[in-house]
Amino acid sequence: MNALSVPVQVAAGRIQLVDVRRRALLLAQLRMLMVGAAFLALAAAAILRIAWIGVVEPAPHQRSMAAALLPPRGEITDRNGVPLARAFPAYALWFNPAALDDGGPPLVQSAEAVAARLKAIFPDLDEHAVAQQLRSGKAGYLRRRVLPEDANRVMALGELALELPRETDRHYPQGSMAAHVLGYVQDGKGYVGMEAALDERLNDPATRGEPVALSIDARVQGALEDELRRGMLSVNAVGAAGIVLDVDTGEVMALASLPEFDPNRIDDEGRNYVFNKVTNQVYELGSTFKPLTVAAAIDAGTITDLSRRYPATPFHVSGFTINDSHGMGASLNAPEALIHSSNIVTAHIVDDLGPTRMKQVMADLGFNERPYIELPARGFPIWSSGNWPRLRAMTVGYGHGVAVTPLHLATAYATMVNGGIWRPATLHKVAPGQASRGRRVFKASTSARMNQLLRMIAVYGTGRNANAPGFRVGGKTGSAEKPGGGGYNRSSLVSTFAAAFPMDQPRFVVIAMLDEPKGTVASSFQRTAAWNAAPIVGRLVPRIGPLLGVLPDETRDVDLTDLKPLVGDSE
Amino acid sequence: MTSQSRLRRIGWFAALAVCTALYLMLHLKVHSVTSEVVRAERQIVALEQQKLLLETEFETRSNQLQLAAWNRVDFGYTAPSAAQFLENERQLASFGSPRAIGAPEPIRVAGGAGTEAPSFPKLVSPLTGEPIDEALVEPAGSLSGAELAERGTMRIPLGAVIGSASR
Repeated sequence: MNALSVPVQVAAGRIQLVDVRRRALLLAQLRMLMVGAAFLALAAAAILRIAWIGVVEPAPHQRSMAAALLPPRGEITDRNGVPLARAFPAYALWFNPAALDDGGPPLVQSAEAVAARLKAIFPDLDEHAVAQQLRSGKAGYLRRRVLPEDANRVMALGELALELPRETDRHYPQGSMAAHVLGYVQDGKGYVGMEAALDERLNDPATRGEPVALSIDARVQGALEDELRRGMLSVNAVGAAGIVLDVDTGEVMALASLPEFDPNRIDDEGRNYVFNKVTNQVYELGSTFKPLTVAAAIDAGTITDLSRRYPATPFHVSGFTINDSHGMGASLNAPEALIHSSNIVTAHIVDDLGPTRMKQVMADLGFNERPYIELPARGFPIWSSGNWPRLRAMTVGYGHGVAVTPLHLATAYATMVNGGIWRPATLHKVAPGQASRGRRVFKASTSARMNQLLRMIAVYGTGRNANAPGFRVGGKTGSAEKPGGGGYNRSSLVSTFAAAFPMDQPRFVVIAMLDEPKGTVASSFQRTAAWNAAPIVGRLVPRIGPLLGVLPDETRDVDLTDLKPLVGDSE
Repeated sequence: MTSQSRLRRIGWFAALAVCTALYLMLHLKVHSVTSEVVRAERQIVALEQQKLLLETEFETRSNQLQLAAWNRVDFGYTAPSAAQFLENERQLASFGSPRAIGAPEPIRVAGGAGTEAPSFPKLVSPLTGEPIDEALVEPAGSLSGAELAERGTMRIPLGAVIGSASR
């Protein structure tokens, strides 16, 4: 039993041992498995995390910085990158009487003391008005556009009721300059100018990071406005308009309409001036049309001999008499008619040309449709459709009976001097070689002849005041009476000077227009364009010429030798 | 359990602990670098905004209206006249006058200009005294950065920053 039991015991002990060993092995294997699984899980987690970062999550630093630097509204610059309109992070000073929230007075100090301390920070503050507002206990803006350092100083006053909410603001560093080109922004929406035309692009997150370059040159714009304002004030005109246009690309280098508004602070008074005189107001532009008429006649072949003389005595047509402002002798040739600005001779030239052809040329110059430009405000010309009677064509020939915007006139002059190609005006910067193809209106030979004739007007004729030395300016004056009271108003004029320079290789057209100029000392008590609009161009061209790459040179000029004998007696 | 297997077990745990600790350290390091980058970016954004502010202020104070007003009141500058411009050497030479009779001969300097003149001195390194390779002085990649900066309000060459960080 015992002998039997011992081996059994031994066997049982061995079995137990084997069992323990197997169990320990199993346990070890299990632990090994668990550790392995833990490592595997860790590795899997790391790989998943890497995959997550690489695939799903956008790179955080790229997003944050790009988003932070993306302006809330795109920037507008001039052609050289000078900012004209930009989104500007600014603080506002807001009075919140409920800020303390304890039922007591909203301010710790007295209203007068706070106003005085604010005045120390903002010297132009109306202390009395602010004190009154603080006393009244009504919430409201005390000031907009507070600079950060001023905001810090306001914080240092320790008044909880003075809050400084951060606002994104539209700022126009150049103030009222180019106001009609830019327009203004209110509640995130653009009005009037390019702010309205480009509203979508300036707001689109995909495109607003990139500034929009306009064709405007800030320096030229500044000079144009400066000279126009000076000219306008010196003759007590009610308004003025001006444009500088590149004749080969149609780019608008400067566009001004005075009086202007301040886009930084648009109020009711400013809203009265948002009307753009250059693109929206139509005028009968008078004698400035005469070169276009002569060009049409040369182009059609009805003027082949410039020495041909036309009668200059009052011209009776269908019960209407066409007169000149003063007697110019018995007869004139075409160059003399331009130099002295004769309505009668122009009417004879149109008579030879015929109304159909006259109307066709005017239509080709775009006078029968709104001007081409990106601005939303574009005026429709006063244009009579249907067949033109003889008298209508004649009056149009010297700039009456068709009313167009100054922009129309600038585009037409650009067509006349650039070799005969009409191109739409644009406010976008045009890359070299990307100019619109345009359409041919005049022959190149006509254009070359017109360049001579325009230069002659500035050298010998009514445009002498615009003849800036060395810049080879050519141009035509125009003084038209404004329509009113069932006829023409003798006392109110629109005087225009349409010019191009340099005439030996025309690059730019300049239009200066004054609305209702008076005779003053500055204009030698004259009201016509030769005395008020032409001097503006004469002062403007030397300022802008070198900026635009036109250097004055007194040794160059258009060759006038073949035409000079025709007007020999004028000097 | 034998002491050997226990040792081995402790060894495994130690390895696991070391790995975990290393992983944690790496993780923390990554986080600290990330937050440093974020802080640097915030600084860049703040500086950009400050720059924008200063630039706008400068543009505003020097706007065309203000310059015209200063010119009218204080300086009175006028546009240069045609006589102040020179088109070419010929025009410049036309201002000269021929030498008068009996005027002294112009002084001629021996070994004047021409092929014998030494070339412009090269930039010499202050350390080695050797002429510096010009390619080293040229700031590399500044063009691309400037080009990017030209593109507008995003004055930071973002592409360059990210590109160099990932390199």
